[in-house]
Amino acid sequence: MNTEALILFFIVGLAMVGGGIIISTILAPKSKNPVKEETYECGIPTQGASWLQYKIGYYLFAIIFLIFDVEIIFMVPWAVVMKDYGFTAFVEIIIFLMIVALGLIYAYKKKVLRWD
Amino acid sequence: MEFKLETFLFFFLAVSSIISAIMMITRKSPISSALFLILNFFTVSGLYLLLKAQFIAVIQVLVYMGAIMVLFLFVIMLLNLQDKSKFKEKYSYKKITSLLLSILLFCILSFTLYFGFTGKFKAMSDAAGDLGKAETLGAELFTAFSFPFELASFLLLAAIVGAVVLAKKKFN
Amino acid sequence: MTIDQFLLMKNEILLIAIAVIVLIIDLMTDNKKILFPVMIILFIFTTVIGFIYQTDGELFGGMYRSTPLINMMKNILNTGVLIILLQSAGWLINKAENHENIGGFCFILISSLAGMCFMISSGDFLMFYLGLELATIPIAALVAYEKMKFLSAEAGTKFILSAVLSSGILLYGISILYGTNGSILFKDLNNSVEITNLQALAFIFILSGIAFKISLVPFHLWTADVYEGAPVNITSFLSSISKAASVFILLILLFTVFINFSEIWNELLVYLSILTMTIGNLFAIRQQNLKRFLAFSSIAQAGFIPLGFIGGTSLGASTVLYFLLIYVFSNLGAFGVVSVVTSATGKESMNDYNGFYKTNRGLSIVMMLSLFSLAGIPPVAGFFSKFFLFTIAAKQGYYFLLFIAVINATISLYYYLLVVKAMFINENEQPIEKITSDVYAKLGLAICVLGIVFTGLFGIIFDYINTLSKGI
Repeated sequence: MNTEALILFFIVGLAMVGGGIIISTILAPKSKNPVKEETYECGIPTQGASWLQYKIGYYLFAIIFLIFDVEIIFMVPWAVVMKDYGFTAFVEIIIFLMIVALGLIYAYKKKVLRWD
Repeated sequence: MEFKLETFLFFFLAVSSIISAIMMITRKSPISSALFLILNFFTVSGLYLLLKAQFIAVIQVLVYMGAIMVLFLFVIMLLNLQDKSKFKEKYSYKKITSLLLSILLFCILSFTLYFGFTGKFKAMSDAAGDLGKAETLGAELFTAFSFPFELASFLLLAAIVGAVVLAKKKFN
Repeated sequence: MTIDQFLLMKNEILLIAIAVIVLIIDLMTDNKKILFPVMIILFIFTTVIGFIYQTDGELFGGMYRSTPLINMMKNILNTGVLIILLQSAGWLINKAENHENIGGFCFILISSLAGMCFMISSGDFLMFYLGLELATIPIAALVAYEKMKFLSAEAGTKFILSAVLSSGILLYGISILYGTNGSILFKDLNNSVEITNLQALAFIFILSGIAFKISLVPFHLWTADVYEGAPVNITSFLSSISKAASVFILLILLFTVFINFSEIWNELLVYLSILTMTIGNLFAIRQQNLKRFLAFSSIAQAGFIPLGFIGGTSLGASTVLYFLLIYVFSNLGAFGVVSVVTSATGKESMNDYNGFYKTNRGLSIVMMLSLFSLAGIPPVAGFFSKFFLFTIAAKQGYYFLLFIAVINATISLYYYLLVVKAMFINENEQPIEKITSDVYAKLGLAICVLGIVFTGLFGIIFDYINTLSKGI
C-alpha cells in the first residue's frame, strides 16, 4: 500500500460521492414551495420538532465500540508483522487483548450492555 | 516555482481544513458543526497522506471520522438543545478578549515557527515513504515500543471501567 | 529481559496487579464488602515493599528509569493513596448505593496511581504522556461520581475539559521539541536542548500544561469548582496526590531536560509563585464552605513549592520532596476529618463546625494539628518544610519573593486559625453530634497524625531525602 494509491483512492472516493450530489443538483428539475418543504408525516400535519432525545444506553454502546475500534487499529500492524516476529509479537498481542477483554467482561457483568 | 501536484494538493487541503474549522465554530446548528468537523478530519487525513503517513491517515478516517463522530452526534442528540438562545454569549467583551488573545497566539506561533525553521527545511527522503507503512509501524510497536503498547491497553481498560462506573443506572 | 530488570518496575507492576485483582474479585463475588480488606492488605504490602526495596536503573533503552529519589517520590504517593483508601472506606461501605461501585472506585484510584508512577519514572515523553493520561482520564469518572447532583456533574465536565486543554497544550510543546531535536528521550534531550525561540516556546507550552495540573495561578480556574463538586475523597486525592505527582514530574523535567533553561524558568517560577500564593490566599479568606476553603488553601500551598525549584540545586529538590511529604500528610489529615463528618452528617459549611471540640475531641484535635501544619506553626512538621523552602529562596538571593512568601504565610495563618477558632471557641447550640468513625478511617487519621508529628521532629528524614536527591 503506497501513498499515491491511497491519495488516488481518496480522490476517487470523494469524486464518486461529491460528483453524484453535484450532478443531481445541476440536472434535477427544481420547484420550491412551502408545502413541499414541510416534513412528511403520513400526510397529516406535523406535530412538534423532529429532535428527539436518545437513550443514554446508545452512548455507552458507542463508547465501548470506540474502545474496541482502537483495539482493532492496534491489531492491524500486528497482523502485518506477525510472520516476522512470531511468538514475541503473539504474546504481546495476547496480553493486550486480555487486558482489554477484561473491560468488556466488566461491562457485561455490570449489566450495562443489557437493553431494558 | 515549478508546478507540482503535491504543492497544489497541500494548499488545497490546508485552506479547506482552515475554512472547515472556522465554519465548524461559527455554525448555529450543532449538527452542521459536527458535519464540518468531519470535513476537517478528512482534510487533515489528506495532509497526513501528503506526509507519507498512510497508516495514520487511515486511522484518522476510521477512528475519528467513523467512531468519534458517531459519539459526537450521539451527545448532540442526547442533549436538549432546542432552546437556541442559551448558546448566545451574553458578554461581548469575552468575544473581543478571546479574539485578541487568539490573534496574539497566532502571531507568536507564526513568528517563532517562521524564524525557527527558515533555511532549515530538508527535503523528504525517499525512505520516508516506508516509515508510514503498517509494516514499519508494527516492527517498531512490537520491539522497541512494546511496553508503551501494553500500557495503552491498560489505559483503555481504565477508560472502560470509568465509563461503566459513570454511566451505570442508579442502584435500586 | 531478566528478573532483575523486571523488578525495577516492581511498584507499577504490583499496582497494576492489585488493580486487576480488585476487578476480578469484583466480578466474581456478590458480597462486595470483602473486597475492601483484601485490597487494603495488598496495598499495604506494596507500600511497605516500596520502602524496603530500592531500585536504580533504566529499561527499554531509557524509556523507563528509576532512581532512589524517584523511588522516594513513589513511596510518598503510595502512602498518600493508602490514607485516602482508608478514609474512603466509611463512605464506600456504609452507604448501600455505593456497594456496587467499590470495585470500580478502588480500581480507578489504583490505576490512576499507577499512571502517576509511570509518569514520574518515565524516561521519554511517550511514557510521560501515557502515564499522565492514565492518571487523569479515569479520575474524571470519579469526579462526576454523584452524577445526579448538579455540582458534581459540572465538576466532571470542567475537569475533563481542562485536562484535555492542558494535555493539548502539552502535546504541542512536545511536538515542537521533537521537531527541533529529533528525539523524545530525556537523555538525548539533555544534551541537545538549547535556548532558541522555538524551543523556549516548546518549554513554555510544556510548563503551562503541567501548571494546569498543579493549578498554579493563571491556570487555576477549574480548581475550586472541581474540588467543591467532587466527592470529598476524590477532592483530597486531587489536591494532594495529583498535585504532588505533577510537581514531581515538573521537578524531574526542569532539573534534567530543561536544565539549560534555568534562567528562563527561574524568572517564570518567581512570578507564578507570587501570583499563586497571593491569589490563593485572597480567595481562601472569603470561603465559607470547608471543602472550597481547603481547595483554595491548597492552591496557596502550591505557590510555595516553586521556591524550592529556584537555582536548580539538589538541596532544593529534596526540600520540595520534604515539603510535599508533609503537605500530603497534613492535607489528607484535614480532608480526612471533613470526609468523616460529611459522610456521617452531610455538613460542609464552616459554621457547622462551631463547637466541634465539645462533641468530637479526637477529630477536632486531628483537624487542629493538620491545619497548624498547613499554616506552619513551629512544633508541627509544616513549619520546618516551609522554613527550609524559605532558606532555599534566601540562599539564591530572591529576597523580594521571600518577603511576599512570608507575608502570605502570615495571611494563611489567619484563616487556618479561623477554622480552629470555630471548632474550639465558638459556641453553638446544636453542634455536630458525636461521630464514631470506623477502624479504617481511624487508621488513616492515625497515619496522618504520626506523619505530621514525627516528620518534623526527626531531622533524619530530611537528611535521608537529601542523600537520595544527589542523583536526580
